[in-house]
Amino acid sequence: MEYKKAILIIRNKDYALDGMRSALGLAVENMYAYAHLLDTQIDKLDDNNLDRLEMLRDMEGEIYSNVKANQETNGFEAMSLEELGEKLREMTVVIPYGII
Amino acid sequence: MKILHVYRSEPDANTKKLVEIVSRDREVDTFKLNVDNPDYAQLVDKIMEADQTISWW
Amino acid sequence: MAKSLGIFVTNPNVMRHVMGITKAAKAKGSKVKVFFTWTATLLSKDPQFPELCKIADDVAICVDSYINMGFKADDVPEGLKKEKMATQTQHGLIIEDYDCYLSL
Repeated sequence: MEYKKAILIIRNKDYALDGMRSALGLAVENMYAYAHLLDTQIDKLDDNNLDRLEMLRDMEGEIYSNVKANQETNGFEAMSLEELGEKLREMTVVIPYGII
Repeated sequence: MKILHVYRSEPDANTKKLVEIVSRDREVDTFKLNVDNPDYAQLVDKIMEADQTISWW
Repeated sequence: MAKSLGIFVTNPNVMRHVMGITKAAKAKGSKVKVFFTWTATLLSKDPQFPELCKIADDVAICVDSYINMGFKADDVPEGLKKEKMATQTQHGLIIEDYDCYLSL
């Protein structure tokens, strides 16, 4: 069985944590689930959200960002706009999430 | 693979770049939702015909 | 047989599109499921929401999001079945069980 792959693209700070929660929800449903915070910087994650990130990674998911501060503060994996575009080509489902 | 790009607003530079990369070497269709009276029946037909639909912000 | 359609709603300003697409898909004989999350759960208070619950085959909202938007879990939106105040699993069901996927 081939597992589906889904990515949420988040461009609004107020939608970031729910988008990450949504990604985890898909990972729990046996999908490869990812989120990318595009040009969107968020504060340091609290313990609850760090646990979610850890759980997502345990299920081979990941949170990416092209914002250096996110990489430094929250350990999100670096991914440029162009790399994100290439990643989208591998996905079963692409979800431009929330509002800009 | 046929991809349908749905636009809920006018795409900015980031969206345009992502669409360009995703669309490379693929059959592409588009539909604009940011008009006064979208033809929803036509949109549904396009969604059913596409292998994947991406609805941009 | 028309393909089924699952709609994942994350934008709180798209009710006319949700209604328009659901009506059009139902007119073509499609099975339609709609799931609302985060600020889009505010749309469960839209005057058109009860009608959506009538015409779509399945409507669900993320109850955690709904509570985050300031509502109480026992304040079931008009037209919605209580058991459809649910979790993100509903989103997974849309991707797994429906032929076509649309996010709004």
